[in-house]
Amino acid sequence: MSTLHVLSHSPFSDSRLSSCLRLLTPGDGLLLCGDAVYALQGGTAQRAALELMPETIVLLALAEDLHARGLVQLPERLQLLDYPGFVASSIAFDKVNTWL
Amino acid sequence: MSQSLLIVTRQAPWSGPGAREALDIALAGGAFDLPLGLLFLDDGVFQLAPEQQPASLALKDLQANLQALPMFGVEALYVSARSLNERGLSDGALQLPVEVLDDVGLSALFERYDQVITL
Repeated sequence: MSTLHVLSHSPFSDSRLSSCLRLLTPGDGLLLCGDAVYALQGGTAQRAALELMPETIVLLALAEDLHARGLVQLPERLQLLDYPGFVASSIAFDKVNTWL
Repeated sequence: MSQSLLIVTRQAPWSGPGAREALDIALAGGAFDLPLGLLFLDDGVFQLAPEQQPASLALKDLQANLQALPMFGVEALYVSARSLNERGLSDGALQLPVEVLDDVGLSALFERYDQVITL
């Protein structure tokens, strides 16, 4: 059973990201939206943790949230989504776990 | 003599009203010539990040209000070095001229003001 984990809070102000990273299993997806995209900021421990995820984990982010926050130099493995893509991804995985 | 006020803004710019509200307090206080300072702390430092594009979220630009601070007489602007480093931001790339303070400098800053408000 594959799960899409959806994070929307800043990874610098709480532990959702680190808790989520420990739970991921092969085939799972991690979708960053809202302030969670700050995890992709270069030179941070959070970015390093994302780069270290096994290739079997899909890394996704909502493009408009990335652009609004001025994040550049993104990891190659990152797949950018628009809202229709968000919906398609939600359906593609067996379950969606939204970290509210 | 009015009491001096330190405003601490520690929320990222695009997710809630916190960042804008702190800025509004600073601009209102500046318009009345209150002696105040503004400290960017924790996720608040993201307000100063380069290359932001609020139009992609159809939001009003916080940058214009930030740039208005000196015009409203709010020139005491500070940022935490630790918060910048943790978030991979370099002080050379920020949108405003701010004084970068280490932890000791932050303690001294809080000492210097009569009142503090944190948003």
